[in-house]
Amino acid sequence: MEREQQRRVVEAVILASPEPIAPARIAAVMPRCNPSQVRALVKELNDEYSEARRAFEIWEVAGGYQMRSLPEFSPWLKQVQKTRPLRLSAAALETVAVVAYRQPVTRAEIEHIRGVDCGAVLKSLLERQLVRIAGHREVPGRPIVYATSRRFLEVFGLSKLGELPSLRAIEALGESEDESAPGEAVSEESLDAPEVAAESDADGAATEGEVGEEPAPNIH
Amino acid sequence: MSAGSEVFAGASSPYGVSLPIFEGPLDLLLHLIRSNEVDVTEIPIAVVADQYVQTLELMRDLHLDVAGEYLVMAATLAWIKSRMLLPPDPSSISDEQGDPRAELVARLLEYQRFKEAAAELAERPWLGRDVYPAHTPGPEPEPEAEREIEVGLFQLVDAMRRVLAQAGHTGAAHEVEVETVTVRERMLVVMEALRGREACQFEELVREGDLWTSRPIFVATFLALLELTRLEAIGLYQGIDDLGTPSGPIHVRRRQVDAAEDWLERVSELM
Repeated sequence: MEREQQRRVVEAVILASPEPIAPARIAAVMPRCNPSQVRALVKELNDEYSEARRAFEIWEVAGGYQMRSLPEFSPWLKQVQKTRPLRLSAAALETVAVVAYRQPVTRAEIEHIRGVDCGAVLKSLLERQLVRIAGHREVPGRPIVYATSRRFLEVFGLSKLGELPSLRAIEALGESEDESAPGEAVSEESLDAPEVAAESDADGAATEGEVGEEPAPNIH
Repeated sequence: MSAGSEVFAGASSPYGVSLPIFEGPLDLLLHLIRSNEVDVTEIPIAVVADQYVQTLELMRDLHLDVAGEYLVMAATLAWIKSRMLLPPDPSSISDEQGDPRAELVARLLEYQRFKEAAAELAERPWLGRDVYPAHTPGPEPEPEAEREIEVGLFQLVDAMRRVLAQAGHTGAAHEVEVETVTVRERMLVVMEALRGREACQFEELVREGDLWTSRPIFVATFLALLELTRLEAIGLYQGIDDLGTPSGPIHVRRRQVDAAEDWLERVSELM
C-alpha cells in the first residue's frame, strides 16, 4: 500500500473510532504496517492539519489516538453540545490531583493531605468515573485504595499518567525560593509507594489497559 | 482557587462582609499566611492563630457550617502557640526538641503542592469543556447488546436501587411473612435462566411475570450475580449512550462454556 493511502486509512480509522484507538490496533488493519509507522503517519497528518489551519487535530490520549477539536473553538462548540460543559469543584479537582499523584491511595491519606473529609467528593468522582477503586491495601482493616481511571486520562488529555506535570518543587509561600528542611522531609515520605493487593475486578472497564500499572509520576 | 469564590454576608447589612470560600482548615491557614506576607516555614504562630479563630467566628456569624476539622486545627494552633512560649525542656528526648511548627509546616507545603497540581489540571484542555471528539455515532444506533461495555459496581448498585424503588409500588412492602431464600438458590435460578441462551436482562431475573419479586429475593439475586461474576460463570454488561455514559438495562451474559460448566462444582465447594 502506498504511503499516501496508508496515511488516509489511518485518518479514516481515527476519525471513525468511537474512542481513542491504540496505534497497534490501527497498524493491524493494514498489511506490513507497525505501530511506529502509524505514529509517524499521525504526525504527518497533524502537520498537514496545522498547515491547512484545520480546526481539529489528532490527540494522543489514554494510550490511543482521537480526533479532537482545537481548544480555541470551545466557545462555539459549547453552544451546540447536548450536555453542559464539564465542571469540577475545587474540592473535586484537589481530590483528583491527590489521587493522580499518590495512587494507589486510601481515603484516609487523601483526607490527611487535604485536611477535610473527602467521602462525598470521592463518591462523586467515582460516579463520574474519573477515579476507580483499585483494590485494598493489605494492612489491618484492608482499606480501599483509589486510583485514576482511563476516563481521567481522556478528560484531561493525557496519554499516560507519566505525562502529568511533576508536582512543582517545594516552594515556600510568599514567592520564596528556598527549599526548606521540613519540605524535604515531606518529599522523602512521599517516595514510599504503598503496596497494593491484587486488584479486584469489580471495576470492569476502567481497569482495562495499562492505566493501572502505570507508576505514578515523579513528584519532584 | 479559594480566593476566586466568595460569600457575601447580608446584602441588607450596611457594611457587607466578604469572605473567601475555603476548602478546609489548611486552605484557610495558607490564605492567612499569604495575607500576612510571611514564609510558610516562619509562621508567626500567635498572629495566625488569632486570625484563624477570628475567621472561624466570622464564618459562624455568616451562618456557615464550621466543620469539625476547622476546630481541630484551632486546637492544634493553640497547642503549638503554647509550646512556642515554653523554653525547650532539657530533660526531654531529642525528637521532642524540634520546632513545634514543623509538622504543620510540612502539611501546609504538601497541601500547597496539591493545590498547584489541581490548578494545573484545571488549566488543561478538558474533554467536554474545551475540546470535543469527532462525533461518529454511525448510520443508525446499534442495538445495545452490541456495544456493550463492562458494568462497574456503581451502575450495578444504581440498577439495584431502581428495582427496589419500583418494588416499593407493588404493595408487597407490607408482607410480613418470612421467606427463606438463599444466594445459592438464586445462583441456580440465574444459571437456569441462562440455559440455552447467551444472555438475559438483570431486571428479568427479579420479576415473576408482571410482578417484582420480594425484597429478600432481590437482594439474594443481586448477591448471586456478584458471586457468579466472581466465579467467572457470567459477565455483567450495560450499553452506552451517545455520550459514552453507561445506560440502559444491565445484561447478564454467560461466559464461555467450559468456565460456565464447572461453576456448580465451585459453588458446592463454597457452600
